[in-house]
Amino acid sequence: MSYPAFSAEWADAFKDEINRSDGYRKAAKGWKWTVGLVVEAEPDHGFPETRGLVLDLFDGEARRVEPGSADAARACDFTISASYSRWKQVATKQLDAVRGMLSGKLKVRGNLPTIVRYTKASQELTNCTTRVPVAWPDD
Amino acid sequence: MGSPSIRPLIAYDAAAHRSQLAKMLGELIEANVTGEERRRDFDRLLTRVGVHVTDLGESVTMSFQGGHLFIQGGLAPDRALTIHGDSETVLMLGNVEIGFARTPNLLTGAGRELVWRMVQGRLRVEGVSGNLTALTQLTRIFSVHGQ
Repeated sequence: MSYPAFSAEWADAFKDEINRSDGYRKAAKGWKWTVGLVVEAEPDHGFPETRGLVLDLFDGEARRVEPGSADAARACDFTISASYSRWKQVATKQLDAVRGMLSGKLKVRGNLPTIVRYTKASQELTNCTTRVPVAWPDD
Repeated sequence: MGSPSIRPLIAYDAAAHRSQLAKMLGELIEANVTGEERRRDFDRLLTRVGVHVTDLGESVTMSFQGGHLFIQGGLAPDRALTIHGDSETVLMLGNVEIGFARTPNLLTGAGRELVWRMVQGRLRVEGVSGNLTALTQLTRIFSVHGQ
């Protein structure tokens, strides 16, 4: 079963995937901040409105993952913003998250030393997204 | 009498200003040198370091000028050290733990992984010979661990 991209159902499946991941649990030990993902609109790709996703992550566990407004995502401790197409590239393993951050394809806001300290956790989080089956609006 | 000009801790040339890689390296160092000991390292460091991120095909040069850092896009001449590595490896340099006598700990965690990546050729550092002190200071400034 595939979930509509960045929908509430997709967010639930993503949360379950995070909580099933031993790799994430180990890498994110000590993490205690919220993360907002901003998915910028691309009407040409069937994604007409900018959306946010709020992740409440604590010590290797996802306590809450839910869609919300872009403003709600931007209010998190860390925010990663990118266009719909970029996020699709990340979720389909065409763009590595670290490479995306260093190249500016993913725009990161938050305490940089903390991001560097938890690089492995961010990669594990990305791996979790790749395991959620997605119905992309432009496929 | 005019007010004295305040030289920024980190300055960028036009190419580096457009580069997310340059900004991330600069911001990381700026955040790290708020610690007293790392700030001392930063104030003492006089060297020019190139960073070439192989999978991005992008490079920057960091000129440490004793308390100031100037970042340029591309590889400028007269570099003492040049680091070649993929994105993940370059970011991993910030995860090296600082151990006994404030030397980089290459026996555990990210340090050990980086040594393995050097063996594999995923990380290459030119100019180590003769610049070991500068490399150690640079690693401390870059590391997000410890003071």
